[in-house]
Amino acid sequence: MNINDIVKTLDGTLVAGGESDRTVGTVVANDLMSDVLLNDGDDILLLTSLASDQAIRTANIVGAMCVVVHNAKPLPQTMCQVADTLGIPLVSSPLSKYESCVRIHDFLKAEAGS
Amino acid sequence: MEYKPTILSGGESRSDDQIMAAHERKHVKRVSGPGLPGSDGQGEPLVIMELLQRLRVKDVMRDHDIISVVRTDTMHFAQNLMKRNHISGVPVVEGKRLFGIVSINDIILALEGGWIGDPCQKHMATNLVVLEEDMPLAFALKYFENYIFGRFPVLNKERDLVGIVSQRDVTRVLMRELTRELARLEGGTSSPSLSAEASKSEGALPYYSMRQFVVVRNDLSNAGKAANEIKKMLGEAGVEKKIIRRVAVAAYELEINICIHSLGGSITFILDGHKATIIAKDKGPGIKDVEWALRDGTSTANDWIRSMGFGAGMGLSNSKRVADFFDIKSTIPTGTTVLCEFNLPEKK
Repeated sequence: MNINDIVKTLDGTLVAGGESDRTVGTVVANDLMSDVLLNDGDDILLLTSLASDQAIRTANIVGAMCVVVHNAKPLPQTMCQVADTLGIPLVSSPLSKYESCVRIHDFLKAEAGS
Repeated sequence: MEYKPTILSGGESRSDDQIMAAHERKHVKRVSGPGLPGSDGQGEPLVIMELLQRLRVKDVMRDHDIISVVRTDTMHFAQNLMKRNHISGVPVVEGKRLFGIVSINDIILALEGGWIGDPCQKHMATNLVVLEEDMPLAFALKYFENYIFGRFPVLNKERDLVGIVSQRDVTRVLMRELTRELARLEGGTSSPSLSAEASKSEGALPYYSMRQFVVVRNDLSNAGKAANEIKKMLGEAGVEKKIIRRVAVAAYELEINICIHSLGGSITFILDGHKATIIAKDKGPGIKDVEWALRDGTSTANDWIRSMGFGAGMGLSNSKRVADFFDIKSTIPTGTTVLCEFNLPEKK
């Protein structure tokens, strides 16, 4: 699952951070950044409702490959700037976090089976 | 990590150094500071604390031309050796192994008792307090405070004698490093240091560097910048990715903690050939119950902080979890200092 797959699956829009050819290794759905920092997985796809610079900075610390913000929340300009600076793809999705989790699960399951 | 005093077993004798040190204690007012004698480690200039943590005993010890005797040498021989070299004690060594020390006091006793012709092994002091070469200088200073010796033998991990360190050696190197550090701070330029020399050893990371970041109270829009910079520095130094992540997690948590829980402070990051160190220091108000604060899920964060994705009460415990060494000191209202150290394996 790459950035294009994420955008397509979650009906999202890539709003900052640029393209990347990285693929999802671990999926983390959380709004508490300390919980995110606890995760040891690689190539994290971070699903969150936190529309702030800190979501991107946290993603950078754990080497996340993409951040998705849900419920079409307006994204602060500074958040997009940080994403551009750190080169972390930032996707805005109209879905709820729960719906995103379900769709990503289904996608990864289908991908593993193919 | 707590260094326990290492005492080599055997008989005990009181050296002239002990007498001199006792004299000094009566007449010299000691300076308080971080890790310095009489200090509780709080309220000291960061630059000194960093130096005392960064510098190791091996950075200050004399490691060449160590004047020594062997066990079968006579006390008379030791006396002449001390006289010629203007020293007040000699280690008794076979190969690299330390067996004891003959001090001027032992010589005086030998002259009085008529055994100056005896071999050193019969009258040397064998109950020795020694330092280890990798101990931070802060620990060595505590030794000088806790024991009334003027110098300590230094051993390596294999228990070989690798040097001698005296209070004069400590002062000399500390003054030199402080001068360099001040020049760097005033001039805004990086300066080579002892650790840079140390990092030349095979497999060590290529350089020493230190940076300090100011963390402003409640300025969440900038919080995390220090951690990101630290991550970048480690990447440029070629540190292993998994270690970078651990260091960055601790730096980030501590930076956020200073931002949301304190009156402001700083993050200091030190990278040398073998270790990455983070010192997070704030200006108060301090933590009432440190043990409680270290537990997962305990937090005094308010709703605003939680709305920003923090305040889950994981900051300190996360930092402790990822660090190889973690220490925290807090006093009310002075503030809190957290130290995290990460061992950097040698490059293959």
